[in-house]
Amino acid sequence: MRSEREIREALHSWVLSKAKDLDSSALTDKTPLFEQRLLRSLHLPELLLFLERLRGEPIDVDDLRPGDFRDIDTLVLRFCGVQVSP
Amino acid sequence: MSSQARLKDAIASLSGTAARLSHLSQRSYQNPYTALEWPEAADPEREWFGSPELLSLYGTRPWESLDERTRRRLAFFEAANFYSLNIHGEKSLMQGLAARLYRKDLMDVADYLHHFLDEENKHSIFFGGFCTRYARVYRTRQLAGTQQRPRDVEDFLFFAKTMIFEEIVDRYNWAQGRDARLHPLARFINNNHHFEESRHLIFGRRLVAALWDACEPDWDDARVADIRGYLEQFFVASWREYYNPDVYADVGLDDPWGVAEVAWSAPAQRAHRRRVSAKCTNFLITTGILTKEPTDAF
Repeated sequence: MRSEREIREALHSWVLSKAKDLDSSALTDKTPLFEQRLLRSLHLPELLLFLERLRGEPIDVDDLRPGDFRDIDTLVLRFCGVQVSP
Repeated sequence: MSSQARLKDAIASLSGTAARLSHLSQRSYQNPYTALEWPEAADPEREWFGSPELLSLYGTRPWESLDERTRRRLAFFEAANFYSLNIHGEKSLMQGLAARLYRKDLMDVADYLHHFLDEENKHSIFFGGFCTRYARVYRTRQLAGTQQRPRDVEDFLFFAKTMIFEEIVDRYNWAQGRDARLHPLARFINNNHHFEESRHLIFGRRLVAALWDACEPDWDDARVADIRGYLEQFFVASWREYYNPDVYADVGLDDPWGVAEVAWSAPAQRAHRRRVSAKCTNFLITTGILTKEPTDAF
C-alpha cells in the first residue's frame, strides 16, 4: 500500500514524463493539467491505467465526470481514496 | 485559391474513387445475420483464437512462464479484447460518419459514406456476437475529448484517426484471417473484416491526403504542431488498448497492471508495434503529415 506522499510523487513524475517541456518547479498539486494543456484527452487511457495501478483496482469509466482529472489534488482525492488538506 | 475552393476540389477529386468503391460495396453486400453460423460454445484452452505471435505478451518475460494452455486462454481473451476495441473504435467512427452524411461540402462522397457506415455497423455485429456469446465486451479507457477545434481541423483529425486505427487493425486481420492454426470462427471474423476494410483503407488514404493538401496551407505553425502532437499521441492511445490488464486478470495472471507495463515496455513488443505501424507511419511521413515516427508509441 502506497502512502499519500508516494502517490503524489508518482503522479508528479508521470505528468512530467508526458509534459516534457514543463519545468518541474512549475507543477504543483493544484496545477490545472488539462486546462493548461499539459495533458490532452488522448493521455487519459494511460493516466487511467496508471491510476488503476496505483490504487490496485479498476476505475469504472462509466462513472467518470468532467473535472475528475483537473489537477493532482483531484486525482488523489477522487481515485486514491485520500483526503486533501485545504 | 481559397481554402474552401481547395477543399471543394479535393473532395470532388475523390468522387471517382468513391463511386468505384460504392459499386464494390454493393456487389459484396452482406447480411451479418446469415453470413456466419455461430458454434454453440468456444473452448479457450483447446483452440487458438488469435495468432500467438500477435499476442501482447509474445516475446516478453511473462510469456516464458505461461504453459501452452494458458497461452491459448490468453489468445482467446485477447481476441475478445481485439474485437472490443474494434467495437469502441467503430462506435466513434459511426458517430463521425453519421454527423458528416449529406453535409453540403461532402456531397460528392455521400453515397460512399452510406456504405462505410453500413459496413462498420455490420462489423460490430460480428465483433459483438463473439464477445457477448463467448466472452465479454471489454471496456475502453479512451474518453471523448472536449477540446473545440475549427471544423477543417476536426474533419482532418477524424479521418486521420480513422485511417490510423484501421491500418493497425488490418495488419492483425490480414495475418489472422489466413492463420490455419486458428479456430474457423476467428479466421472468418478476421478475414471478413480485412476484405471489407481494404476498401475503407483506399478511401481513407485518398481522403486524408486530399484534406491535408487542401487545409494545411492555411494552418499556422502552432496549429500544425498541435495536429502532429495529437496524431502521435493517438498512436500511443490506440496501441495501449492492446495491453489490457482486464484481459490479464481474466487469464488469471497476478498483478495485471504490472504485467501490462512490462509488456508495453518489452523490446520485442516495441519492435512489434513499430513493425505493424510501419505502413501507416510511412504514409503519414511521405505525405508530410508527420515529420517523424511517433516514438512514444514504440
